[in-house]
Amino acid sequence: MRVIWWLLTVIAVSGTGILLSERRALDPVQNTTLRVAAPIEGSLRDIASPVNDVFDGITDRGELVRENQELKERIAELERQIAEQQDAQQRVAELEAALGVKQTRPEDSLLAANVIAEEPSGLKRSIAIDRGLSDGIDEGMVVLSGSGVLVGTISRAYQDFAWIRLITDPESAVNAQINLTAAQPQATTPSAPTPTPAPATTPAPTPSASPLPAATPPANEASAIRGVAAGDLKDGLVLDLLPSDVAIGEGSLVLSSGLGGNYPRGLLIGTVTDLEQRPQSPFTKAKVEPAASLSGLDTVLILISFVPARLSEP
Amino acid sequence: MRFVLAFAIGMFLAILEASFMPYFQVLGVTPNLVLIFAASWAMVRGQDEAMVVIPMAGLLHDLTTSDPLGTSVLALAPILVLAAGVHLRAMDTDFVPTVLVVAVASLTYGIITMVVLSATGQRIPWFDGMVSAVVPSIVVNALFTPIVYLPIHWLGVRPTTRILGPGRITTAVTAKRS
Repeated sequence: MRVIWWLLTVIAVSGTGILLSERRALDPVQNTTLRVAAPIEGSLRDIASPVNDVFDGITDRGELVRENQELKERIAELERQIAEQQDAQQRVAELEAALGVKQTRPEDSLLAANVIAEEPSGLKRSIAIDRGLSDGIDEGMVVLSGSGVLVGTISRAYQDFAWIRLITDPESAVNAQINLTAAQPQATTPSAPTPTPAPATTPAPTPSASPLPAATPPANEASAIRGVAAGDLKDGLVLDLLPSDVAIGEGSLVLSSGLGGNYPRGLLIGTVTDLEQRPQSPFTKAKVEPAASLSGLDTVLILISFVPARLSEP
Repeated sequence: MRFVLAFAIGMFLAILEASFMPYFQVLGVTPNLVLIFAASWAMVRGQDEAMVVIPMAGLLHDLTTSDPLGTSVLALAPILVLAAGVHLRAMDTDFVPTVLVVAVASLTYGIITMVVLSATGQRIPWFDGMVSAVVPSIVVNALFTPIVYLPIHWLGVRPTTRILGPGRITTAVTAKRS
């Protein structure tokens, strides 16, 4: 009998807590807890990261050597592409200025944040950062990795802390595209093409040159295949709703399309690793390897200059 | 004093689980140290203390994750019933029953969490959630049980342990049955 009363009490109390939590009434409590826990969590992550690296180094040495060689080759290729793109960007900027075209991302203003925790339940893919409403961030803002690759969006913001929903979370969906002209099948390498590493912990002032990857928009709309990059618990990231007769190869770059207005156009999301075509299905699916290493992130950048459509709605 | 100790251990494990353990995932999941702690405490220290420690552990877990406050309190509640049920069976050790309770509690924890998250409007893929998160967590949590169970076991024996007969030490279960 005592156990039944205890169970009823627990159900009532937890139900009330869940309701209050959904109405944001308990945010100050969670903010205070994170404030207490953040220094300890930061220290523990600092310890865990090198320990994990040691284990990985021991267990995956052969793979690391091979991957290192591949990455060196890829860096050489990317350096060549960057040189070409810098020239192309210059020409695009000159043409836009001459035609009076409104630039979608004239200057990206970024705010650096430290990752202090990860959602431990396997049912969600979220990380906590040490920036909150007091730092000018808001729910829905876009979050990038230190190298400027799309990581996710702010899903819950407290006064001093926030939770980020990663692009691999089942609730995440990003309008994406593959530029056929830029689709270059290659060995699957998850690393992102990164011009410069971002600052460590201090707020990043608006740079004159954007640190985001130089993902050039397609030359014309017909040369891009559009789909939705949705999070998946099993596969991580899946590019869905692609046309059934799509002809893309493994290694094609997946970028945000900007449709819907919740993400800026041209952010690198990942690379296609596997294509799943079914005869009866009207759409094709593709598995995508996120360009950012989403487990073990230490620092992220919040794109505060871009206002997502969901925030600008009245 | 024992509840202060339980609070300190629970808080440390909750923080450890959210910060340190994601680097060392097994089968793609992070071990739920708070669940193992609550189950171990319920098995080693008995029902009376578990009635306080289980909700406290759930609250601490919720405070360090993105789940609505109260989710883990609800999801850990079956541990009390499971621990009571396992105590009815005669065993000379608490360890094997604790592993059993952890395994079953991992299943109920996952299901209740998915129900709560679905009820609060979050998109939960049930099949993938079960296959990718809940089922592996049963194995992983059971594997990590000794790490949490042994320190709690060493911290103190269960209050109901008796000495019966000429120097014969029995467990509480044996004491009840005799």
